[in-house]
Amino acid sequence: MKKTSIILLLLIVVSLSVIVSVFADFSTYETFTSASKNPGKKYYVIGYLQKDKEMEYNPQKDANHFYFYAKDKAGNISKVVFNGEKPRDIEKSEQIVMMGYLDGDTFRCSRIQMKCPSKYKKDMVAEGSAS
Amino acid sequence: MDTQFVGEHLRPGQLGHFFVITSFVGALFSAFSYLWAVRTEKSAPDSSRTWLLFGRSGFVAHSASVISIFIALFYVIENHLFEYHYAWEHSSLSLPGKYLLACFWEGQEGSFMLWTFWHCLLGLVVMRTAKGLETRTMAIIALVQVCLATMILGIYLGPDIKIGSTPFSLLRNTMGNAPIFAMPNYLDFVTDGNGLNVSLRNYWMVIHPPILFLGFASTLIPFAYCIAALWKGDFESFVKPTISWSLFNGAILGTGIMMGGAWAYESLNFGGYWAWDPVENASLVPWITLIAGLHTLLVYKSTGRALTVTMFMLLLTHLLVWYSTFLTRTGILGKTSVHAFTGDGKALTYHLLIVIAILVGISVAALVVRWRKLPRIKTEEGILTREFWMFIGSVILFLASVQIILTTSIPVWEPLAKWITGKEFAPPVDPITHYNNIQVWVAIIVGLLAATVLFMKYKTANAAALGKRLGITAIIALAMTIGIAKGQHISTWQYQIMLFSASYGAIASIYFGILVQKARFKLLGPSVSHLGFALVMLGVLLSAYNKHAISFNTTGENFNFEKRTAAEKAKENMENVLLFHGVPVPMDDYWATYVGDSLSMTGKDKIMYYKVNFERKDFKTNEVLERFTLYPDAFINTKGQGVLTVNPSTKHYWNKDIFTYINGGTLDKAKSDTSTYLSHLLGKIGDTVFLKNGFMVYQGLSKEFKDTKYKPVSDSDLAISAKLMVYDSITGPAKEINPVYVLRNRQYVSNIEDTVSTLDLYVRLENIIVKSQDSVLIELKVRQTDPKDDFIVLKALVFPYINVLWIGVIVMVLGFFISMGARMSDVAKTDSKALR
Repeated sequence: MKKTSIILLLLIVVSLSVIVSVFADFSTYETFTSASKNPGKKYYVIGYLQKDKEMEYNPQKDANHFYFYAKDKAGNISKVVFNGEKPRDIEKSEQIVMMGYLDGDTFRCSRIQMKCPSKYKKDMVAEGSAS
Repeated sequence: MDTQFVGEHLRPGQLGHFFVITSFVGALFSAFSYLWAVRTEKSAPDSSRTWLLFGRSGFVAHSASVISIFIALFYVIENHLFEYHYAWEHSSLSLPGKYLLACFWEGQEGSFMLWTFWHCLLGLVVMRTAKGLETRTMAIIALVQVCLATMILGIYLGPDIKIGSTPFSLLRNTMGNAPIFAMPNYLDFVTDGNGLNVSLRNYWMVIHPPILFLGFASTLIPFAYCIAALWKGDFESFVKPTISWSLFNGAILGTGIMMGGAWAYESLNFGGYWAWDPVENASLVPWITLIAGLHTLLVYKSTGRALTVTMFMLLLTHLLVWYSTFLTRTGILGKTSVHAFTGDGKALTYHLLIVIAILVGISVAALVVRWRKLPRIKTEEGILTREFWMFIGSVILFLASVQIILTTSIPVWEPLAKWITGKEFAPPVDPITHYNNIQVWVAIIVGLLAATVLFMKYKTANAAALGKRLGITAIIALAMTIGIAKGQHISTWQYQIMLFSASYGAIASIYFGILVQKARFKLLGPSVSHLGFALVMLGVLLSAYNKHAISFNTTGENFNFEKRTAAEKAKENMENVLLFHGVPVPMDDYWATYVGDSLSMTGKDKIMYYKVNFERKDFKTNEVLERFTLYPDAFINTKGQGVLTVNPSTKHYWNKDIFTYINGGTLDKAKSDTSTYLSHLLGKIGDTVFLKNGFMVYQGLSKEFKDTKYKPVSDSDLAISAKLMVYDSITGPAKEINPVYVLRNRQYVSNIEDTVSTLDLYVRLENIIVKSQDSVLIELKVRQTDPKDDFIVLKALVFPYINVLWIGVIVMVLGFFISMGARMSDVAKTDSKALR
């Protein structure tokens, strides 16, 4: 067998194993309920801000603590704590994508992405990130 | 009956439309003529020549039309003709002149036009230089121009199918249902446009898109040459021009990508220059395959090997540019990208898919038809030859691009995966770590190979000389690695290896350039560009490994192989610090103090600059060693309620950057200010009023003062001012203030307040009480905003040695240009020889 072929074969094996490990790295979109089966593991949850419930961000007390309530696609409501500043315009968001994990009753998230309706643009993606 | 609208300027739009049509027809005509020139090449050389001339004039007409569209659209924007949707959407009256060009390419149609424009210029150069391959390359280029021209055609086929979208559509047509457009004088109400997105209002927006699009556009030329070579079955004449064009392409696209990085670093709050964002990845991947293709092409030129792989890489590069367009323009990335791209919906998705299908079809057909005729060499290359390892390096680059595109494309293949597995796949929860953990190995291997192949030779192997040179390089690099790893505390072994790879690359390039090539300028291209690559690796490693927030002392979480629990990571996310007005807060080696803000208005846009002082003090003597001020700012959008768009402010040192930005704060002081005026009675000179962070000393009354706000109305007016020295414990030197008390006919009429903005201090001379000749009391009303009501939320990051990265990019690009210059002068020489 040619040396080139041997090396190419090796590369293919390595890249296949890398691709398999890459797939293990991919996350999934979950609901609060399905995320609670694996507390501590990070997932994406798509949800909607519960505007009738309270939300709090008091930078004078803690600049890295913001909480609100969100409803996921299955209709469950959970308290969400974000370790960072309050994303701008979250009140206007139509949909939020939260990345985090369930800790008891609370969803602790480290990244928030919002979809905001706009008078001029069809949709706008804004992001608040704490990373 | 149709309404007659008042005040519209329809002429530029009509002209624009006309040129859109002629540009489309011109490109189509040119493509067909060039095609017929090819078909009649053998059978009827004379008519082939005529077709060639038709093709040329078609392309020239097309280019002239494109330039005319540019002028027409620019006229619309520059004259603020808001009856056009494009001008209304992307510009506004208050927008400074330098951003008018930026509005041009903010929109979908404008950026397609920019792309088309570069294709025209590059096409004209190819037309003059391609010689025997002109007909075929130009047929391909013209065909791509036909596809691009359809993007701005804006023609309806039936009620539901719309092809392209024109930048000249009128506001009343795009938003036709709004009642305002029933009024003939609707333009009286459309007084201003939307304006450019504030986060794009930056000089990078003026310069980055043209360079990046030139980079994208120039991938077409190697693509066209490869197709032409396959088409003609001539695998000789395309090599030299393709090498030169690929070098040009690598330099420009590389510059464009890193300009995006510099922009992100300088003015956006991603917290860095690279975030593995889908939009960034989409432009990086074509560059990687281009570099792979360039190297295999060099192998082909010197040894006759690796032609198939070269064709594959260079064809793929241009196809990937179209795929990037598909990813970033159609909105398919949606929730996975921070770039606020909006989708133009299904029409554009199908349109782009059709174009991609055509180009893939042509590429595959050309490869399949010529597959058996592609020259190949049966024998095996030697294990110590340059071609062998260059080939391996290219394959690894290709695999790296596969990984990046696979993860980036999750939203594209996710529906299929859901159908198969039932799971809804999402991007990795920590994308930066995901990419870093894989790509760091690619960087290590490519770094080592890039250095090693310099010393190797094509076809022959001199193991002894090679071993000696590599050995010397490795020893020096090892010493350098140990030194840097100790100094910079790089303890993760994976990154120690990367550090070695970068050091090895840098040493090898310098060694090879100076000692082996004797620094002959024309030969220096490869060693200079490889040195640049090594420096980029080094800069990325140093700045990212030790990047840390000093607003809360932690080390960067993303650049780490250690597995930690989510809770620990969440804790590290707490990088915001609250700064009250006037209260110093320790940050790393510095004391940071928020000392005030100032509002700047341009038109109706408000920008708030927050002034933050940084001081570094000696531990023992408390002496200030260094002092600087940063002004992170925030855009206060008048449309929303207090929407903040922030720009960071950075202090540059030769060896590190301190990078700060505002994450929140008191937006409306008038609302949150709860302080009230307090009375103070002062009699003697030297009486003192204590303030929240300083004090104020009374120095007497005076009739002479310079306050421009005071103008005597009648002769009986008398103005008296109190002289007060304010000592401020934050900003230091004393400042004199003079509140004024005005009398008319010995009666009090008014007073003029004086302020010290850095202290938020307001002082009013309320009353002057004359008890006797010697005893005069004054009453001061003093108000100072409570510091608790005035605060900012700040994030400060340190990027060590980031300059190494920027220098690396510049050196690399320089290397590309040196190579290109050398190759082009070679081509010129052989040409003049051939003529003789």
